[in-house]
Amino acid sequence: MICNAWIAAVALVAVVGHAGAASIDIGRIFDIGRDVADATKGMDEKDEIAVGREVTGRLLGAAVLVADPELQAYVNSVGRWVASQTERPDLPWHFGVIDSPSINAFAAPGGYVLITRGLYDILDSEAQLAGVLGHEIGHIVQRHHITVMQKSAALSAGARIAQRDGRSAIVNQLIGTGAEVFARGLDKSAEFEADRVGVVLAARAGYNPYGLVEVLHKLAARTGDDASLALLFKTHPHPGERLNQLGDAVTPRVPTLPTGKEPAIRQVSADVPPPAASRPVPTAGTRALQEDSATARSSGKSGGGIGIDPAGVLRGIFGR
Amino acid sequence: MNRAFHRILQVLAAAALLATLPAAAQQFALERDSPLYAEPRLDSTQVTQLKQGAGGEVVGKQGAWINVKTTAGSGWLFSFNVRFQARGDTGDTGGSAESRGLGSRERVRITSTIGIRGLEEEDLKQASFNAAQMKLLDGYVATKEAAEERARGAGLASEKVEYLGTKP
Repeated sequence: MICNAWIAAVALVAVVGHAGAASIDIGRIFDIGRDVADATKGMDEKDEIAVGREVTGRLLGAAVLVADPELQAYVNSVGRWVASQTERPDLPWHFGVIDSPSINAFAAPGGYVLITRGLYDILDSEAQLAGVLGHEIGHIVQRHHITVMQKSAALSAGARIAQRDGRSAIVNQLIGTGAEVFARGLDKSAEFEADRVGVVLAARAGYNPYGLVEVLHKLAARTGDDASLALLFKTHPHPGERLNQLGDAVTPRVPTLPTGKEPAIRQVSADVPPPAASRPVPTAGTRALQEDSATARSSGKSGGGIGIDPAGVLRGIFGR
Repeated sequence: MNRAFHRILQVLAAAALLATLPAAAQQFALERDSPLYAEPRLDSTQVTQLKQGAGGEVVGKQGAWINVKTTAGSGWLFSFNVRFQARGDTGDTGGSAESRGLGSRERVRITSTIGIRGLEEEDLKQASFNAAQMKLLDGYVATKEAAEERARGAGLASEKVEYLGTKP
């Protein structure tokens, strides 16, 4: 999912030009005359972080953080510890639990990981949390979003054509239907890889390596019409398929993987009400979601009125 | 008086019995034909070979393995080969070994989520950058050192584990 998020995120940063992303050298990323695949090669860590920040800020515009500072600090401690086991330990890792009953988790480039309250609530142990966060961290460490763009020959071909019409046309092409379908095909393998990474990262951090497997079992046991899983099932391989893939990869290593620990998971504070139903309460810096939504829908535009479809911006990832 | 006391004892005994009744066992069904092992190891002796669709009760877990009871015998199954059935109840029954990690910790929210719309594409489509929430998120960041210290406190230590797909 991250892949789609990334692609559209680049588009957003390029076009919307939010202040939070002002440091990105748009000219370098979207240099007219270069195709998109080449452009992504020029994307360095600083760009990744800036784009990830933009994507994350938008997600927080759709669902705010759960108002439990101790929980948030706890998840950051666990996530940071797991991230420290990777080849990118010094990214500015951020973790958060967002107030949504949906079961999902999200990752954005540069070290941003968000997990929904709905998913957090079904976790039984810190090992399971570590597995879920490890999956998300895996997407970021493996730079799946960038890889997808680089591999996307169809995308770059389309972008070349679009270049004739200027930068916004490139953006449209990036997140256009054709490109999105193509990216989805690659998403699946990225999900399987992130699952494999999640298991290993949890093990490296000293946890029971199978926490993520237990969570996948929980998801597989839920029915497809479970409303809390709508977005997840729409954007991910079925958990059963993920279990099959992961099982094949894990089998030869079962005898040697460490047993690991299963510390208890921190509960959400009793003072915090259950997840907000659907719409977040608009806060400072957030456009009131209710306002002019009809207009936005009918025009198919969002943000700065650019002709892009951010539906692909933040696909749930658990996980992506 | 004596009778009343006796009655109280009876009630207490009944309550104690109820409290010790096992939680409703987690049910499973096999996703593919699988050996039922005597021990949770791939090189263990096999109790029997089970067919896809065979089911039973989960009585425990250990790493990648689940301990099960079936009509063909008891033993261990590679957990990737099974699928658990959704619990029809609305809650955890107390965190028994078999339900922990395999069942659900949710207590009553299952019914309440039905009909509730969660985070969907349309929400993401409509959302704009929330600077205040980003500031909050920044404030929760843990340093590498602090995270390591907390992990040590929780009894965790780094292990050297190669990525899957590479030689161990």
